[in-house]
Amino acid sequence: MNGSALVRSNLVVKGHGGAIGLPSLAFKNVLQTRQNTTAAAPPPELKASYGNLSDSDRIFTNLYGRHDWQLKGALKRGDWYKTKEILIKGTDYIINEVKTSGLRGRGGAGFPTGMKWSFMNKPSDGRPKYLVVNADEGEPGTCKDREIMRHDPHKLIEGCLVAGRAMGACAAYIYIRGEFYNEASNLQQAICEAYQAGLIGKNACNSGYDFDVFVHRGAGAYICGEETALIESLEGKQGKPRLKPPFPADVGVFGCPTTVSNVETVAVAPTICRRGGAWFLGLGRPRNSGTKLFNISGHVNNPCTVEEEMSIPLKELIERHAGGIIGGWDNLLAVIPGGSSTPLIPKHVCETAIMDFDGLVAAQTSLGTAALIVMNKQTDIVKAIARLIMFYKHESCGQCTPCREGINWMNKIMYRFVDGQAQSSEIDMLWEISKQIEGHTICALGDGAAWPVQGLIRHFRPELECRMKKYQEQNEKQALSN
Amino acid sequence: MAFNLLKQSANTVIRNAVVPSSTSVTRGLFTGAVQLAKEDKGLEQVYTKKESLLLDTNNVIGKTSNTSVQNYIEVDNKVDLSSVTGVPEEHVKTRLVKISKATKNVMQSGTDNTHNWVMEFDNRERWENPLMGWTSTGDPLSNMKIEFAERTDAINFCEKNGWKWYLEAENKTRPIRSKSYANNFSWNKRTRTSTK
Amino acid sequence: MFRTTLQRTVPCIRLVVAPGQFRLNSNAPAPPSKLEVFIDDKKVLVDPGTTVLQAAALAGVEIPRFCYHERLAVAGNCRMCLVEVERSPKPVAACAMPVMNGWKIKTNSELTRKAREGVMEFLLMNHPLDCPICDQGGECDLQDQSMAFGSDRSRFVDIDYSGKRAVEDKDIGPLVKTIMTRCIHCTRCIRFASEVAGVDDLGTTGRGSDMQVGTYIEKMFLSELSGNVIDLCPVGALTSKPYSFSARPWETRKTDSVDVLDALGSNIVVSTRAGDVMRILPRLNEDINEEWLSDKSRFSYDGLKRQRLITPLVKDNKGNLVPVEWEDALVATSRALINANGNIVGVSGGLSDAESMIALKDLLNRLGSEQLYTEEPFPMTGSGTDFRSSYILNSSISGLEQADLVLLIGTNPRYEAPLLNTRIRKSYVHNDLEIALLGPKVDLSYDYEYLGESPAILKDLAEKRHAFYAKLSKAKRPVIILGAQQFEREDGAILLAQAQQLSQELNKNADKGWKILNVLQQVAGQVAALDLGYKPYNNLPAAKVLYLLGADNESLTKCKPAGTTVIYQGHHGDAGAAIADIVLPGAAYTEKQATYVNTEGRAQQTLMAVQPPGMARSDWKIIRAISEFVGVKLPYDTLNEVRDRLTDVCPSMTRYGDLEPANYLVQASDLAKDLSSQTVSTPLNVKQITLEDFYMTDSISRSSPTMAKCIQAVRKQKESKYYESRA
Repeated sequence: MNGSALVRSNLVVKGHGGAIGLPSLAFKNVLQTRQNTTAAAPPPELKASYGNLSDSDRIFTNLYGRHDWQLKGALKRGDWYKTKEILIKGTDYIINEVKTSGLRGRGGAGFPTGMKWSFMNKPSDGRPKYLVVNADEGEPGTCKDREIMRHDPHKLIEGCLVAGRAMGACAAYIYIRGEFYNEASNLQQAICEAYQAGLIGKNACNSGYDFDVFVHRGAGAYICGEETALIESLEGKQGKPRLKPPFPADVGVFGCPTTVSNVETVAVAPTICRRGGAWFLGLGRPRNSGTKLFNISGHVNNPCTVEEEMSIPLKELIERHAGGIIGGWDNLLAVIPGGSSTPLIPKHVCETAIMDFDGLVAAQTSLGTAALIVMNKQTDIVKAIARLIMFYKHESCGQCTPCREGINWMNKIMYRFVDGQAQSSEIDMLWEISKQIEGHTICALGDGAAWPVQGLIRHFRPELECRMKKYQEQNEKQALSN
Repeated sequence: MAFNLLKQSANTVIRNAVVPSSTSVTRGLFTGAVQLAKEDKGLEQVYTKKESLLLDTNNVIGKTSNTSVQNYIEVDNKVDLSSVTGVPEEHVKTRLVKISKATKNVMQSGTDNTHNWVMEFDNRERWENPLMGWTSTGDPLSNMKIEFAERTDAINFCEKNGWKWYLEAENKTRPIRSKSYANNFSWNKRTRTSTK
Repeated sequence: MFRTTLQRTVPCIRLVVAPGQFRLNSNAPAPPSKLEVFIDDKKVLVDPGTTVLQAAALAGVEIPRFCYHERLAVAGNCRMCLVEVERSPKPVAACAMPVMNGWKIKTNSELTRKAREGVMEFLLMNHPLDCPICDQGGECDLQDQSMAFGSDRSRFVDIDYSGKRAVEDKDIGPLVKTIMTRCIHCTRCIRFASEVAGVDDLGTTGRGSDMQVGTYIEKMFLSELSGNVIDLCPVGALTSKPYSFSARPWETRKTDSVDVLDALGSNIVVSTRAGDVMRILPRLNEDINEEWLSDKSRFSYDGLKRQRLITPLVKDNKGNLVPVEWEDALVATSRALINANGNIVGVSGGLSDAESMIALKDLLNRLGSEQLYTEEPFPMTGSGTDFRSSYILNSSISGLEQADLVLLIGTNPRYEAPLLNTRIRKSYVHNDLEIALLGPKVDLSYDYEYLGESPAILKDLAEKRHAFYAKLSKAKRPVIILGAQQFEREDGAILLAQAQQLSQELNKNADKGWKILNVLQQVAGQVAALDLGYKPYNNLPAAKVLYLLGADNESLTKCKPAGTTVIYQGHHGDAGAAIADIVLPGAAYTEKQATYVNTEGRAQQTLMAVQPPGMARSDWKIIRAISEFVGVKLPYDTLNEVRDRLTDVCPSMTRYGDLEPANYLVQASDLAKDLSSQTVSTPLNVKQITLEDFYMTDSISRSSPTMAKCIQAVRKQKESKYYESRA
């Protein structure tokens, strides 16, 4: 996940998540106290419709690699244009523009970026500051950062410089997923070009500001996409998340103030500074502004990664860019709208779902990394979720109890559910277990593993019960025939 | 039936002896049960059920220290009861009592047993009983281990019974060391974790 | 001892150096204002930086925990300590979360209890239900906390489908038994190994539910403190191998006592059942051992059952020692003593208690002999043993936590006094203590500045010529620890004098009242012996009768002096008994109520946990009996009266638990001045260099099969291709 559904979800109070359904459960009141603060009114709609982003508003103009990704091509596309001026305008200017733009973290949790970067500007105590770019894009379904890194690496590098300037960092570490060999290679090459051109390094862009960019390749653990686990991994230790506090802005990588930001977040920063925060704010609904890379995979005719305006309706996104569902819209079963850790939404919710932070919270799910996994009716939905849980079980770091033991248990139960080898009361139990994991772990991986199960139970309980019944009948039949 | 008995007799007898210091909340398992017996008419229903009685944690593990025994006679001057207690002279004259406060068991994290002053007698010979392999002793006082809230209570008790005693000083508690999770990650300190 | 009780009831007049006393006066920031927090609506004022768990403890609320341990770093991974904080949507981990002003913490709310129950359920999910055969049963945190905070029934139906996790056991040596299936991954053992023991041997491998705690490559946990992970383990994953399946905690009796296998006098609990010592556990004492115990002290108790002297022995005319009745032995002893005409030499060994030493001294004095020696040498030049400050650890063990620089001379505290070493390491880790070593290069489990092994360096330091002197002289609270074994050298006196001179030099810049020079004794009986007026053994005069009170020293016993009757009184048939003509069986430290003074000069007493075996008796009683046979009856009949006599000779000796400071360092240094200018050239050496040297140092540990196994295991580990020496 590009970390990211992991990344900071525990900073933001999760409003979605469903206490809904299952009113009979004894712990209902607990749930109610725990969640939601986000029940606020939906953002006002200022435009008649969202979506159909015009080419002039696109930030990632080489998303499909049709042009030169190297420095020459990047310069042609407007990267590194007047970067010096942006740097010279200084910290406050950059942070102000980012704040104005309403940019929210693209890693999954959607924390306001400007505010996050401003946390770094406390008076220095002598320690250097670092920017860490989370390029450990491991969330199943998510493939947006790799497109940036292999086709538009200079956007990211320039973003590092601008974001680094905004927080006064002396260096950026780009922690890239180990499997992204070509991406790391392109990125490294681009960094070399940038060094040679004097764009970064000592006196970057002649601005008088020294800034280094390093690439660090991960070793293939999903959990290293969680920001503190990423920091640990970067320090050479096992990628096991840290508790917060201390937040990375106090004690981060190498014990120094650090901000971990997603690739996409960092990469859009220079364009925001060049075109102004107001332009970015003008796209999408309030509180959900800007453009976003959407990944559409699964049972669609044309799986793709596309940059679109925020707040585009889910249906329009699929129909316009992904060529529609295989077998037509009516063949749709469910969509996981934000990478594997977000709860799925069934077809009737998809009809009206709006692809932005608030829109999906209203649909009891989350924007996450905006990676849609589309499943049509040929999908065995229980098996699909079971497979996701197996992924989380495999990727749990094992540090804290609820995640280590709970996900393992959920995995066992889920695979029994696939066959229907369970009692229907176990559905409630599974729900309870997922609630026992959610919010009790050190990092958000536990939450991310609990949500898919919760989504499944919320929307497909009849399906589960049906399977159990079938299994029981089959067993009885067998017993009779024996 | 037994419960009714308890209700009638225990109510009158025990309630007189054990009076909870706070009127509203009854603490301690014993007093709690008695209280329930008096007030909660639904208790009989509970007893007929198979489920065990749901008690508040406070009632189960709470302290009994705020119950006080009333209506007993206090004697101001020191008395030596050893001549009338019936304890053989040998076990009065030759025994030595150690009064100490238990330290935390290093095998466990709990500290609940460490708040009292304990009196213990000097250790005498024990042997393995050849018949069953159980431990035998000829010392009638070897199992007398009494806990007191205050050391002066323990001392008074020993003096009243004519035992020689000595007091082992209370273990020093160390000042709270501030524990910082962030220290595990600080770059320039030796508290940085090396292994996990 | 009874007269001490009054003083004891008023602890405030105790003469203990309070920790923190010295820390306050330098560069400490102004005391920050207190924070106000509410624990279950009870107001508590705490310092900033206090964790929720600590604040709750102040309010008298104990929050359940598995991974958190007071003496280890915070890990925050077991999640058992989750508590509700008002207006926080999620429960917070109390062990790691610093409190904020005005927080309202609810330790018994619905949310808190639900969180605990959930964590408990997850922990039990893969924990085997083998409590009936688990050695931790009865003192298991998991058992207790599942009773108090867990659910009353299991929902783990998957036990019928896929079962529980099982993990292969590891072999980490002859002391710690691993049943890793029971592990709940609290990582306490890992943190202990890396923080306290300073050995990064343990760690986790794998991830998720496949995570395992272990050594990665199967190897021995090479630490002199390995037994402590047994105590730390909140479940039965790490248990004691020698103790396995032998007793239950509820059937053993626990006797508070004091360890005598090194000079620190660690506090211990002796668990006994039916006259057998089943195991030894550390007992919490902040001033001495905190709550740790070295492996030798913990596991050599099986040596108390082997090689024991259980009956008096007297040499017959064929030269064989034959068992006799006490009366015969006492007659033979008294005959020898009377015939000696006062030409008697008494030597007390390292495990001797103060009561027997005072009795022997009184007896020999009455027989006209002043020749009472200790087994351990000490230079008699200069002021000799006149000043107590010359032979004790003046800074005190806990006082080392205030030091800012430690200079170790000719000692390897890691094996000579493992718990002193953990103190130094603790300061090294938490207070950035600097350490320098003069002597053979050894692995101290922390980094130090190595000065070399030539004793000439000490002279250079004392004469301010050495480069390291600059650093030393800047220290405000420097500590010099001189290993007592250096006094076995002929030039030991010179080393002491030079160390004294150096410490006087350093005194000029050090904090006022700070004591610099320390001597680290090797055996438990030495300080008491010197306090009682025993002379250190340097060169033994010839005598008609040699009375060995537990003395097994190699140089003393390598050959029997001709024409001398040797009487050995002690508990083990070791080197001393081998050369004896008369053997009197005494009691070991678990079998008597006796006084020992540790290396910092703190008197403590052991209590009788079991009876001495066979015909063995308490040592002072044997000597008292001899005195009657010889005709110079000693004037004490009860332990109490012996202690009265001890008090007369040395009042501090019966103030149990109190530290008796001594301060004649200046005078001692002045008297030794002429010595310090001499030059010594033989390189310094220590006896215990590596771990295998640590396990057997006295008659008890030499008789211990467990200790023998340890040595074997260490040797085997050293042959492994994965072994690397850190020294």
